[in-house]
Amino acid sequence: MDSLEIKNLSKRYGKKMVLKNINFEVKNGEFLSILGPSGCGKTTLLRILIGIEDITEGSIYKDKKDITKLDPSKRGMGIVFQNYALFPNMNVLENVSYALKIKLKNKEKAKREAIKMLEMLNMKEHLHKYPHEISGGQQQRVAMARTLVLNPDIILFDEAMSALDADNRLKLRGELKNIQKKTKTTMIYITHDQEEAFSLSDRVMVMNDGEIVQIDKPSVIFRNPANQYVKNFVTDHLVDKVSSIQKCIGTDI
Amino acid sequence: MKKKFGKLNVFLLIFLGITVLYPLLMMIGHINVSDIGKLVGSVGFQEALKNSLFVGVIATLISVIVAYLLAYSINRTNIKHRAVLKLCITVPMLIPSISHGLGLINLFGARGIISSLFGFNIVGSLGIIVGSVLYSFPIAFLIIDDGFKYVDTNLYESARVLGLNFHQTFFKVTFTYLKKPLFSAVFAVFTMIFTDYGVPLSVGGMYTTLPVFLYKEVIGLLNYSTGTIVGLFLLIPAFISFMVDTFMRDYASTSASGRELVLKENKVRDVIFKIYTYVIILSVFVIIGSFVYYAVMDNVLLNPVLSMKHFNYVISNDVGGYLFNSLVISGGVAIFGTLITYFVAYVTGRVRGKMARIIHILTIITLAVPGMVLGLAYSISFSGTFIYNTFLLLIIVNIIHFIASPYLMAYNALQKVNMNYEIVAKTCNVGLLRIIKDVIIPCTKLTIREMFAYFFVNSMITISAVAFLYNTKNMPLSILINTYEGNMMLGEAAIISLIILMFNVIIKLVIYLINRREDRRKYNEVTYESF
Repeated sequence: MDSLEIKNLSKRYGKKMVLKNINFEVKNGEFLSILGPSGCGKTTLLRILIGIEDITEGSIYKDKKDITKLDPSKRGMGIVFQNYALFPNMNVLENVSYALKIKLKNKEKAKREAIKMLEMLNMKEHLHKYPHEISGGQQQRVAMARTLVLNPDIILFDEAMSALDADNRLKLRGELKNIQKKTKTTMIYITHDQEEAFSLSDRVMVMNDGEIVQIDKPSVIFRNPANQYVKNFVTDHLVDKVSSIQKCIGTDI
Repeated sequence: MKKKFGKLNVFLLIFLGITVLYPLLMMIGHINVSDIGKLVGSVGFQEALKNSLFVGVIATLISVIVAYLLAYSINRTNIKHRAVLKLCITVPMLIPSISHGLGLINLFGARGIISSLFGFNIVGSLGIIVGSVLYSFPIAFLIIDDGFKYVDTNLYESARVLGLNFHQTFFKVTFTYLKKPLFSAVFAVFTMIFTDYGVPLSVGGMYTTLPVFLYKEVIGLLNYSTGTIVGLFLLIPAFISFMVDTFMRDYASTSASGRELVLKENKVRDVIFKIYTYVIILSVFVIIGSFVYYAVMDNVLLNPVLSMKHFNYVISNDVGGYLFNSLVISGGVAIFGTLITYFVAYVTGRVRGKMARIIHILTIITLAVPGMVLGLAYSISFSGTFIYNTFLLLIIVNIIHFIASPYLMAYNALQKVNMNYEIVAKTCNVGLLRIIKDVIIPCTKLTIREMFAYFFVNSMITISAVAFLYNTKNMPLSILINTYEGNMMLGEAAIISLIILMFNVIIKLVIYLINRREDRRKYNEVTYESF
């Protein structure tokens, strides 16, 4: 069953069309990346999905229910930002348990679940540290825990790892994939990084200039780019990367 | 979010409409057109305008130069105890401008401590200039000192590597960055001096400036129409400075390379600036010292013995009642002013939208309205209504008079707070007010406290906005200085100045100590370290 279905979605700011007739589906438990250069409309799309931006035309269905006009808090979606948006006046544990306390109206239970989630993300030693006392990668784990602990059906990631260094990104990527396997949460991952999109996703949606150019499995996109744009933006880029690694190592891989 | 704040938006818009726009329009509507020609042609007005421009320009130049050298001393020499020195430099901001005039009268007046030894006195244009410098240089200092922080220190190293001399470095590097703060300081100080009537009233003697002219027209002759026209003249420099400030390009490096500038060793420079800084600070304390001396001496010249005479008089004259009035007004302004201003800044800084833009403009234009003119506008607009003669009106007029600075503090602080918190809250089903209370306010609490102190201190020292609005029942302490001084009761006036200073020091000290205990790194919040 499709968990999320976007039909004929358009968005206009004044005269400028930022999203043109967008149609796609995301299956339950799927990991979908939305890949495109900055200004292609992917962040606007994310804001529309989460419900903080109105749409000009079209509709959004979740489990066959129309949620186009539904309040963000009732959509069952969570969001993880590039800048983490952790609450600086709360420690790690408080950050993760804050919304849960309000939801469950049970402080102890909220705390227990928050600790469990943080353990899963290897953050057990840092429960009582403040955001400014931990590294970027650790902050991102806390941000993920804060979203995951509320058990949303879908999590949206907004360039979630682009502020991290290469090493941390690689590590966190693996962890994210594991979490997704464990929790079976549907994840929509917005990025401009081809490698990231391809390594994480079940399917990748390539966007350019407010339109979907291609949406398919990574291997299919790589082998059969839909047009010259996809070939330049995705295939060539990845080939360049592989060949530069080959040069470094000096062998065929 | 916009929808939820719709009602608050409308409320703030109506509030600012009634408290800012309506009085100003009413005031302008009050002008008798035939008075304009009569006034502008009159000798008295021309004289006052000429005097105002003369003392304004001279005092501004001196004030900004004094302030620049102080800022240089604090930022570019190896002087010690910078934080304490900065606090001392800003002490003059804690007493009314009229008290600075009073201090000069004490020391250099017709029967002053020092002047009577040498047989001269400072009353007149010289007195106004010195008094104006005394109370305005700390403002200029804060603006320029802040400007120094944003000079990209890497450029000094580049200049050194390129072999630029002092002269070249100053104009190519320092001045490029400090141009805007220097201009801001010049305009801010000129506007202050041009519109102040506390200093001219106390040490001006027969030398009439525009604000004194306005004051006499309205209080003495009840000539509101003429007063308003003079008021419009007072608006001009503030309006120009407002425009210049808005449109002038700011070179302040936003990245402001965090690295501390490595100062070249220069003993001579250090010693000269150290002496200079201490002399300036000493002169501030001499003024305050003169209050103490006048307060405790029976008669400074004729009978210089310790006496409780002035204290007894002040007490028997119900100083407690006036103090109570001042605390009600200042406390009210601090509490309600901070609350309203914070919400205004929240709406304009984080909710945005068309209505927010109008609210922003209405709040900012108050910067161009001198307290006296605002008070006059209120007097014209609200006399005869239920709110006239109440504490509430005095509180509101002070909030509007002082709103621009705390508003900008809150606006900047709220802009720095991560814009995604509200979105996170929404998706987590946490209410907007709840996230404001639990996260946004804690993230900006240093600024909130500074706003509170700003409102309180300025309401304690102001005489301008309330001058036309108080009555015998709600008259604040600061006005009392004028009354006592007018009757040559210098000891009594000195005591009142000291009481105001004491309360302001307490408030500032408490806020300073609380804020110092906070872990600033946690919030990444920048506040004015000023006292």
